[in-house]
Amino acid sequence: MTTVVLTPAPSMRTRAVWLSQTIAMSKRSALAIVRQPALVVPSLIFPLFFAALGTSSFGQAVNLPNFPKVDNFLDFSIAGTIIQGVLFGSVLGGAALATDIEQGFFDRLLATPTSRISILVGRLMGAAMFGAFQAMIFILILLPFGISIKAGFLGAVVIVICGGLTGIAIGGFTAAMALKTGSSEAVQGSFPLLFIALFFSSAFFPRETMTGAYRVIANLNPISYLVEGIRGLVVDGFTAGNAAKAILVPIGIGVFSIALALRTLYSRLAAR
Amino acid sequence: MTAITSSALGADGGTVLRSSRGLALRGMRSIRRLPSAFVPALAMPVIQTIAFSGTFFAITKIPGFPTDRSVNWYLPLACCMGSGFAGVGLGFSTVRDIESGFFDRLRMAPSPRSSLVVGPLFTAWFRVVIVITTTVLVGFLWGARLTDGPIGLVTLYIAGFGIATISTGWGLGLAYVFGDMRAAALMQLTLFTFLFLTNAQAPLSVMTGWLHSVARINPFTNILRLARQGWLGEVTWENTWGGLVAIVVMSALTLTFAYRRLAKLSN
Amino acid sequence: MENNEQNWRAPIVAEGLVRHFGDVKAVDGVDLQVDHGEIFGFLGPNGAGKSTVIRMLTTLLKPTAGHARVAGYDVVTQANEVRRNIGVALQDAAIDPLMTGNELLRLQAVLYGLPVAQVQPRADELLERVGLTGAADRRVGTYSGGMRRRLDLALSLVHQPTVLFLDEPTTGLDPMSRITLWEEVRRLNKEGTTVLLTTQYLEEADQLADRVAIIDHGKIVKEGTPTALKAAVGAPTLLISVPAAEALTARDTLARFGEMRTTAEGTLGVGLEGGAGAVTDVVRALDEAGVRVQHLELNEPSLDDVFAESTGYRLEGATNTMSDAGGPAPSEPQRSKRGRGK
Repeated sequence: MTTVVLTPAPSMRTRAVWLSQTIAMSKRSALAIVRQPALVVPSLIFPLFFAALGTSSFGQAVNLPNFPKVDNFLDFSIAGTIIQGVLFGSVLGGAALATDIEQGFFDRLLATPTSRISILVGRLMGAAMFGAFQAMIFILILLPFGISIKAGFLGAVVIVICGGLTGIAIGGFTAAMALKTGSSEAVQGSFPLLFIALFFSSAFFPRETMTGAYRVIANLNPISYLVEGIRGLVVDGFTAGNAAKAILVPIGIGVFSIALALRTLYSRLAAR
Repeated sequence: MTAITSSALGADGGTVLRSSRGLALRGMRSIRRLPSAFVPALAMPVIQTIAFSGTFFAITKIPGFPTDRSVNWYLPLACCMGSGFAGVGLGFSTVRDIESGFFDRLRMAPSPRSSLVVGPLFTAWFRVVIVITTTVLVGFLWGARLTDGPIGLVTLYIAGFGIATISTGWGLGLAYVFGDMRAAALMQLTLFTFLFLTNAQAPLSVMTGWLHSVARINPFTNILRLARQGWLGEVTWENTWGGLVAIVVMSALTLTFAYRRLAKLSN
Repeated sequence: MENNEQNWRAPIVAEGLVRHFGDVKAVDGVDLQVDHGEIFGFLGPNGAGKSTVIRMLTTLLKPTAGHARVAGYDVVTQANEVRRNIGVALQDAAIDPLMTGNELLRLQAVLYGLPVAQVQPRADELLERVGLTGAADRRVGTYSGGMRRRLDLALSLVHQPTVLFLDEPTTGLDPMSRITLWEEVRRLNKEGTTVLLTTQYLEEADQLADRVAIIDHGKIVKEGTPTALKAAVGAPTLLISVPAAEALTARDTLARFGEMRTTAEGTLGVGLEGGAGAVTDVVRALDEAGVRVQHLELNEPSLDDVFAESTGYRLEGATNTMSDAGGPAPSEPQRSKRGRGK
């Protein structure tokens, strides 16, 4: 413990402290993800498995009427694969937060001078990093299998950013759930629900080929738009529209989910 | 009350059937009393039917696709997956018994060892009936139609019982090997993988690439064919015998696995 | 340990029992013989190997080496016959929380092959015996710890076994439940049941057992009737507490009157060779040495002394003082992984 000598202006000092706290929390959040091998399967291997299955099973589907013009099914499905992986990854991130709460570590954090918001932001930053990482890894792994991103390297960069933003967007929801329930079992229970939501979207197959009520749901499902931003970049090429979709949709969802997470955080703190 | 010093009551330790029935009754009661363990297992095939047939609605338009209703294609798959997870569920409850210590008590009873496997098997079959019946009813509501009359239901149920038998043996064996929830994760993972490396999503004729080769040799493909035939066309012996053989052989393998690992528990 | 001739027709006989778990020697050569109608106590701390021995004798675990026969049958080659004749209540009450007490008893009766007509009457009889008739139709998950133990005991008695194994039957129970269970064990024993129980409570072994074996680190270190064991220790323990500064002087003084004994923190103990009569000499010697005695008591040899002499440490952390009827406060046993270690 050093003795206080000269202190800079209060506002500057708080900001610097806040930043370093946030960075520390982000680091911890990212490490926590990397250190859990149980995360690897659902968030990395499963999506790739599904992509591989889909390519072989639905290879001929690309010739169907209403199917967007693609060279191969993999080009079509990589977007869904990325979103799928990010979705699963953030469920597990939320479960980790809930475990922290269950085991009292969260309370211990609250007892430190760490600012409340930096706990949340740190958690979300970890999710962002992992989401971006997943997008990058999927692209790299699938490149040898024949995908080609029409939007080029720039498009790939935008996709990775989109992965990170989606990580935040979904992470906000799962964090809110963790803060609300404080139970990792409850958060993990949302896994099947998210999985279903993934199906009722254009993640696996084009909306245009669906019919009836199903199509209506897919049209309304925000996940469809998350996926199609990336898909556009892969399949169509770099257009303002595609890039905008890829960036703005997750931001839009993120604004909403972060607000929700903040509200849940504060109500949790107020209830203590 | 006097103790019988020479031989205790119930000298023969019960028959396989009686003991298995007792254990099965316990299993069925558990289903009723802990619905949270069973309801997801029941909801999954129902949702899967709806979700798969909705998302992949258009694949029926691929030339050579055996039906024009996607729900006819995916309903039997959902039933098979549900049956598989019914068996795995018995693995789960066995892990719980092992962790709680109740399993020691079961092992110390003089009932034949096989009843410890057959009892859960009966419970799994009971679950299969519930799962398939429910899913089929929903499927009918969703537009599924039998193409060769009620015999199509018979083959579906046979496939379900068969898969449940295979997965019960597998689940129990893994439970005995690991004795904790790691077994549960492994059960789910392996079942899921095996069931999907088949003609689950598309017929063999439509498949391309590596999956085609894998699915061709995967015995579960035969079982799926057995389950689906009544919803695609005619029920024929040709579509049936492969599935039956697969069921018998794989059941024998997994049940032996379970039985062996049960015996090894005292090592 | 000392039995060279095992009577292989005794209810429980074991020779050279060994059990390894990887590199760990949980049981390292145990010989034992329990005669008809005996209550035999296995006394030892956590990890001594008590539960492992029980698991071997009850067919749950195969010995790495050695032989055992229970109720006349070999535990390895005639496991099912052994199971028919033994009742077992293990350390954690082995119950299914979703079932009612009655349902569990009925299942047990079915698994033990009781004729259909006898199943419910037997269940009713046992429920009454252990005092659970009122709770019979409640789910076992709602039972208290004591109730679960009682149900566990009832489950072990369904088929009227001739040999009963109880693994730490009163650990974690309140004093009243403990006494009730002791009475039940005595009653069963009077009816002719041979009992092998393991315990970490000296009082329990002293009160219940006809013979006791002290087990430590997988071996039996001493065996005999409680009376004989205590008599073998011989000298009573003179226990004093003195101010810390004078402890060294006090120790030197005491050591002149006999062998120093291990005692609890903050006390000094000596095995008084001269018996109770030598107390005055000790007090005078301490006084002459200028030692201020804060507390003094004289304890006849207890099983704790037997234990300390055999193993070099005390079984219970409590001081070597008189315990009340209910026995000392139970220390929670370590939770061991199923079937491993212990």
